[in-house]
Amino acid sequence: MPEQLWFTAILNRLFAGPVTSFLQAIHIAPKHPAAPIPNSVAMELLVFFFLLALFFLLRSRLSVDSPNGLQHTFESIEGFVLDQSREIIGHHSEPYTAFFAILFIFILVANLIGLIPGFESPTGVPVVPLGCAICAFVYYHTQGFKHAGPKYLMHFFGPPMEGMPLIARIFLAALMLPIEVVSHFARLLSLTVRLWANIFAGDLITLVFFSMIPIGIPIIFSGLHIVVAVLQAYVFMLLSIIYVSGAVAEEH
Amino acid sequence: MPAPRDPSPDPKNSGRNNVWVQVGRYSQLALVLPSATIVGWLLGTALDHWLHTSWISIVGLLLGSAAGLIEVIRTVQRDTK
Repeated sequence: MPEQLWFTAILNRLFAGPVTSFLQAIHIAPKHPAAPIPNSVAMELLVFFFLLALFFLLRSRLSVDSPNGLQHTFESIEGFVLDQSREIIGHHSEPYTAFFAILFIFILVANLIGLIPGFESPTGVPVVPLGCAICAFVYYHTQGFKHAGPKYLMHFFGPPMEGMPLIARIFLAALMLPIEVVSHFARLLSLTVRLWANIFAGDLITLVFFSMIPIGIPIIFSGLHIVVAVLQAYVFMLLSIIYVSGAVAEEH
Repeated sequence: MPAPRDPSPDPKNSGRNNVWVQVGRYSQLALVLPSATIVGWLLGTALDHWLHTSWISIVGLLLGSAAGLIEVIRTVQRDTK
């Protein structure tokens, strides 16, 4: 049996049977059939349900006349994300703000949950940042297609080359296509590695110093971990905004 | 309620005056080159397995390095225009 957090143990006790059956049905053999849900998935689900409950609570208490603290907090986050996306994408950035805001909030909560004893950051395991990166990757390509239609594919053939002979343009486009494909997939890898490595390293440093000097020093590293968690959530959101901005740009 | 925002920012500015946007962009540069090289090699290896060849992974590696370098040059060009 793998080492399980208390929440993971509860999930495995309740859902191990159906999850194992489902995995076997799609031809995936779980390493531990009695505990197929890993800590990272359990923590990710916890963050998901926590945010869902928070948004239901927020929705039920929305008020124009007397907004409460929670409403103020989320309005500030929404305003911050909207300002950032407007600064990068331009005045037509409003439709994308909801995605950026939820990406930021999800990653932030997932990064910070590891600071609470008995929990761990799901973003400290590569599959969770990869999932977030895939969401951002699929989202910016979808928005690119929605914005420009099939013309969006021109992004993959390099910059416009007006004034060049047709043969040279075809040659350069054929050269640029694999380079562009690789560079788009590299974004996926760099988003994943940055978030995972920072959170994993932050957790590890806090743990190492806690095991060496359990009084005082871990607080400093926990503070550093909070800064890293906020900064990495922000950078992930910012890069997603930059990618959407590139996908919906009007240059082609 | 938050204060109403300026409805007409300059889209051409593209966050160039915001130091945090610059931090985000430049923190990306450190990872672009190795990521592109690894992705190029991985895609090449996948194609090698699929097509039963042995040379596409080398081409993928070279294209990945080129893609990383082009991305770095693009970022620098965009910010120095």
